[in-house]
Amino acid sequence: MSKKRTSLCLLIILFTVMLCNTGSAGVTPEILLGARGISSLNLDYSPGGDSETVSDISDTSLLVGFRQKLYNRYRGALVIGFQFPDEGSDLEPILFHQVFLRVEDRTNIFRIGRTRVRSAMIEFPTLRDDDAIYFTDILNPFSSGEDAEDNQYGSIMEATRIFGQRYQLSAYGEHLKEETENISKDFGFNALGLSFQYRVPESQRWNREILNQIGISLNTALTSRPGYSGELDKALKSITFSTVLNIRPDPVHFWDLRHQSIFNLGFSEVKNLSDYSDITRARSISTFTSLRYLYRKLERPALQAALSYGYKAFPDLSNNSSQHQVIANSFYRIGENFDVGLQLRYQKNSGDLKTIIGEHETEVQFAFIYSIEQLWNSQFDDRESLLNLEHGYIP
Amino acid sequence: MNRRDFLITGAALSAATLLPGSLFAETTKRKNLKRFPRQLKPEIEGNVKVFRLFVDIHQQELAPGLKTHTLAFNNQVPGPEIRVNRGDRVKVYFKNRTELNHTIHWHGMHVPWRMDGVPYITQMPVMPGQEFVYEFTAEPYGTHFYHCHWGTLLHMQAGMFGSLIVEEPDDPIKKLFPYEREYTLLYSAHDLNFLRNEINAMLERMKERLYLVKNGRFDKERFAVFDSKEELEEAVRNGYQPPYVVNRRAPADLAQPFWFTVNGKSYPSTPTLYIREGESIRVRLINSGTEEHYLHLHGHDFWLVCDDGIPVPQPWQMNTMRLSPGKTLDIIIEGKNRGIWTFHDHDTRRVTNNGLYPGGNLMALVYEDLPEEERRVMPMEGMNNLIPKVALDE
Ligand SMILES: [Cu+2]
Repeated sequence: MSKKRTSLCLLIILFTVMLCNTGSAGVTPEILLGARGISSLNLDYSPGGDSETVSDISDTSLLVGFRQKLYNRYRGALVIGFQFPDEGSDLEPILFHQVFLRVEDRTNIFRIGRTRVRSAMIEFPTLRDDDAIYFTDILNPFSSGEDAEDNQYGSIMEATRIFGQRYQLSAYGEHLKEETENISKDFGFNALGLSFQYRVPESQRWNREILNQIGISLNTALTSRPGYSGELDKALKSITFSTVLNIRPDPVHFWDLRHQSIFNLGFSEVKNLSDYSDITRARSISTFTSLRYLYRKLERPALQAALSYGYKAFPDLSNNSSQHQVIANSFYRIGENFDVGLQLRYQKNSGDLKTIIGEHETEVQFAFIYSIEQLWNSQFDDRESLLNLEHGYIP
Repeated sequence: MNRRDFLITGAALSAATLLPGSLFAETTKRKNLKRFPRQLKPEIEGNVKVFRLFVDIHQQELAPGLKTHTLAFNNQVPGPEIRVNRGDRVKVYFKNRTELNHTIHWHGMHVPWRMDGVPYITQMPVMPGQEFVYEFTAEPYGTHFYHCHWGTLLHMQAGMFGSLIVEEPDDPIKKLFPYEREYTLLYSAHDLNFLRNEINAMLERMKERLYLVKNGRFDKERFAVFDSKEELEEAVRNGYQPPYVVNRRAPADLAQPFWFTVNGKSYPSTPTLYIREGESIRVRLINSGTEEHYLHLHGHDFWLVCDDGIPVPQPWQMNTMRLSPGKTLDIIIEGKNRGIWTFHDHDTRRVTNNGLYPGGNLMALVYEDLPEEERRVMPMEGMNNLIPKVALDE
């Protein structure tokens, strides 16, 4: 069955389920439908020649979730989702980026399946999630570099423990997509990690605390490394720090600042960048910082403007190489859930990077973005609702 | 008890209608007293009876295994019963301990209009942390109730209702039907999903609004509060989108109750009415919910004696009465047919818990002097001493 047909079937199943939610004595699940459509006109200016894309629909996605209470304090959930990968990617026309199950209670979350890997700790206000992938994510060292999705989606098995509502400790093992992957390959763990973070639940954002999030994570990719045999010596290690500060947590004129730094400890023998694999393995520091202004009218977002800057340096290389990126964007809400956006992106690469990914690139994008989330058969409360957080948790 | 066990219990009840009997035990009867509103003791200040009410977010168990968050007066659903004599000077201190707005409306009472509890019409809402003092003379006689009048659809079914009984030393009903015991029953209906989702949303909104209000940044369009209808119309002409239009709000369904309570509890936690042969009891019925109830008592014709608290000119007999939202009815049941009799909504959709029969507002009239030998349903070997907790005839 082709992937397109599979997704069509998925939709039919979904709507059948929605229509038949009465009748049997079984437990009816909660059904969540999430959809996000992004379509943009892209104008690219680079030394290699200008280009334009009439409609770039990448990152458009559909998510379906089912959730119910289990026989004890736990809840179980299934999430299935697909998205349209970037133009020109060598992936299938539809990528099932989310297929996972989750079991959780008040303080524990277990997830297993295909979903967003733990390559970044926070999200940034860019038009698409991979607009600054060189700066915002730990790059997948097993990838060919062809598809940004290789860095974002993979198989993951994860356990999270929550302390005092706001502290989260997660341990995870991942299978990141491998370049040479084919039918008979090994799909075992090829990355392991730990993360610890403090974060204020979304429902408490109007408590107006300055510190919204701060976290650290340690990721290791179980790479092979010529000349080394110890598992720890062979592994590619990265340390990530992140923070989100509500610098002006005002309900009308809201300002926040997001920052993330990734220290890729790298392999000292990588002195030159000759291909993508070297970029992922060279010692590097990547930082990405966004300043965001959000104007909220009638208690809803109305206008957002953000300025972001990314910098990546490779200190060990014989030929000094670095990357800079500036993204300026603005989104204006023309209706509930519906935005128009304009984004300017400029990236400059120096040293060895010039030959691999080009010297610089300027991109202008004009986009429509429509994102919805609809829940049917609501039956129980979320862990992080105000009732559950501030008035006693009801399992 | 987890949810699965609960469902099995429910199925067993409807199939066999048998439960180990303890209806006649003294402890059961004592516990049953707690299933009626507790009376609030007044402080006496000169010739004024002073009552203190507060509202807070509380958790209530509607039936074994099912808890929900409620807005509760004095941590009780229903709120405590206020009982005064006709003509008493009454003062009620109402303290808002939640982060939401509230008022109290005195339903059926002839209070001065500034005490009527309708926000923006008779008073400003009682905002978080604030206290408001209601003062009135207890008029008229009869069964009345009080409830929150802010976000009424939500706040009432969230638990903000309580009985208010105005007595007369020479009670006209007691003269006609001498009785010793009386019971107050407050009916309500709850869409728990609506409650949970709306309270959460309101709590979030209020955190945001309170900050703006404290900083003097009240914004009419943002808060959807205007000084006049003309002002709203003017705002709409200038492009303001009121919250009810479809491009501002998803077509949210109206609340669809699927839990039905008597005194804040659903069957099998509903209260029991105890009676003795030859005794008359008075039952005060208050519909503080949004649903109409057709209450039917098995094996008896009762006397309808008061309607909206007012004694009817001529009591008349019936066995099914319509209790509309906002209405209070007083009935006298005469103990003339001993046994265990169910008393329930004859629209049996409301005799369900979460869609599962039996449940909801199902309750029983129990003759506590029922002879031992009559308590057995089926004198089967090894099953003696089993009595129906509730007889289900449907
Ligand atoms: Cu209220």
